[in-house]
Amino acid sequence: MGASLFAMNELLPELTQQLVNGLSLGAIYALIAIGYTMVYGIIGMINFAHGEIYMIASYVGLVTLSAIGVQAGYPLLLLLGATLIVAVVVTGLYGWTVERVAYRPLRGGPRLVPLISAIGMSIFLQNFVQIGQGSRDMPVPVLISGALEFQMGSDFTVTIAYSRMVIVGLTVLLMLALTLFIARSRMGRACRACAEDMGMTNLLGIDINRVISFTFVLGAMLAAVGGVLIALSIGKLNPYIGFIAGIKAFTAAVLGGIGSIPGAMLGGVLLGLVETLAAAYFPTQYKDVVSFVLLVLILLFRPTGLLGRADMEKV
Amino acid sequence: MKPLNCPARLVLALVITAFCGRIAQAETVKIAIVGPLTGAVAQYGDMVKAGALTAIERINAAGGADGNTFEAVLLDDACEPKQAVAVANKIVSEGIKFVIGHACSGSSIPAADIYENEGVVMITPSATAPQLTEAKPRQFIFRTIGRDDQQGPVAAKYIIEQVKPKKIAVLHDKQSYGQGMATSVKAALDAAKLPVVVFEGIHAGDSDYSAVITKLKSRGVDFVYFGGYHPEMGLLMRQAREQGVKALFMGPEGVGNKDITAIAGAASEGMLLTLPVDFSADPANVALLSAFAAQKRNPNGPFQMPAYAGVKVIADAIAGTGSTDPARVAAYMHSHTFKTPIGVVAYDDKGDLKSFKFVVYTWHQDASKTAIN
Repeated sequence: MGASLFAMNELLPELTQQLVNGLSLGAIYALIAIGYTMVYGIIGMINFAHGEIYMIASYVGLVTLSAIGVQAGYPLLLLLGATLIVAVVVTGLYGWTVERVAYRPLRGGPRLVPLISAIGMSIFLQNFVQIGQGSRDMPVPVLISGALEFQMGSDFTVTIAYSRMVIVGLTVLLMLALTLFIARSRMGRACRACAEDMGMTNLLGIDINRVISFTFVLGAMLAAVGGVLIALSIGKLNPYIGFIAGIKAFTAAVLGGIGSIPGAMLGGVLLGLVETLAAAYFPTQYKDVVSFVLLVLILLFRPTGLLGRADMEKV
Repeated sequence: MKPLNCPARLVLALVITAFCGRIAQAETVKIAIVGPLTGAVAQYGDMVKAGALTAIERINAAGGADGNTFEAVLLDDACEPKQAVAVANKIVSEGIKFVIGHACSGSSIPAADIYENEGVVMITPSATAPQLTEAKPRQFIFRTIGRDDQQGPVAAKYIIEQVKPKKIAVLHDKQSYGQGMATSVKAALDAAKLPVVVFEGIHAGDSDYSAVITKLKSRGVDFVYFGGYHPEMGLLMRQAREQGVKALFMGPEGVGNKDITAIAGAASEGMLLTLPVDFSADPANVALLSAFAAQKRNPNGPFQMPAYAGVKVIADAIAGTGSTDPARVAAYMHSHTFKTPIGVVAYDDKGDLKSFKFVVYTWHQDASKTAIN
């Protein structure tokens, strides 16, 4: 008993640090995953260009930050706020445009057609940024520096960077706001109605096109917050970050039950934690193997994901 | 008009044929310059391009190689093995016989198979993985750079004799070059009985390595060797600093360009790395540096001079054989020595340089570096 307690004391500090790492990674996955899940919930389509939207948000954030000037001595909150607002607005516009250009003309066609269109859109956006901004890694200035440190165990200092605290804090706030919005507001109700039965909702006099556009814009805006925050925390950007982030977030959405908003939140956090713990306690090269084996196992026993409902199956 | 007499006709015929022969011989020889012109490691493509283009311009301005002038054909493989194969096939189908590149080991290896089969001379100025020349016997594949197993021991020797760390982590990016370097260094450290407590691969392209950093922290690692390129190295150092890990980092020449400072910022101060000797500091290359400057090209990277040397070797071999036939040029390269900006180049049977020197440098956060030994 004493021996195992001793071992716990040795392991606990590292575990705490890894949970902090995993939580901030998972928060970003969750922010992006909501975009996938909302679009799927309403029109039953996987928007593969969503990862690129997140990447564009990072670039818009960087451009805004450079335009204001980090050295100009503005207060941190103003800088961060302005960057986030510009990124959210511009990225929201991208979300709206992508839906208008690539998906709306194809609505009502066979299921696979918008999927191909989405992949095309993803390639287009990636190349668009690559040509406009160059394909090299761009450094992002440090905006939120410093970390909370506390001693744990005999000689382990747990470090929580403030930038990661902002990620988790802001994500939790946005999730609460989104949940309230979907549950209480008119538009939220319309969204839920569309997810339930689009034809019937239309018959009841709700403008479906508006609801769908709104879904794309909202998803893009949430991804924008993720994009800006991760760029500030990681400190570099290239036009290819959207692909991996998109795949991971899509995985998170499926894990939580695609179509379900709480599912996307849960799936994102869970995937972030599992990935981090897999990298921590297995050789790092097996990180993705471990997390995807877990995903397959979960889907074997719960084919609709953790919080998915069977009747939401659309494909 | 009176017909020419017999001897006069003969002389005329000889003059004409000689003239024709001269024209046929002096041709424009295409040289493909292949590297990542786009993608995350496009810097290396730029370095290769700068060196090779400067060489081609200077050789053409001086009258070409045995009267043949060179024409550069720039191709982009993005350092991806698949794209490298497509580029290699394109080079073969366009009848190009000489290649400077590819830049990365991972893309050079599959491309080399194609060049070897089709009889195209390839000189890579930057691919250092031993498998390139080691896996199969090669006639047409050469380097103007050292190999990982020449570079790894230099790094390992420095770690063992100078740094003497207590707990070492060796990480790599799971790609030909990075894993090769890491394995080579780890083997030397194991032989010297230094404790390597972590030996793992990270996923190139990820942006969050905090899990592996925490692992280093909890194992008390005070020295990290990373085999790979600068984007991952930069993130590792930055995130290590974020978590308060004070370990010393060391990498191979793939991390040595100014973008690492842009990514890692102050955390890049004091990083160790092995690089080829700084050829731009060689007094014999002063005229060459002004040629780079005249074209506004940067000569100060690890691969510009090797790329220049690659073109020079091809030119000298063409002049030496009096032929642009790649088989004869390759045979000539194996059996002769060449004077180039990276010193006297001599090849062994595999197409590797008989000698190539790597040096340990300390990197500074203003992207400058100082040689240590």
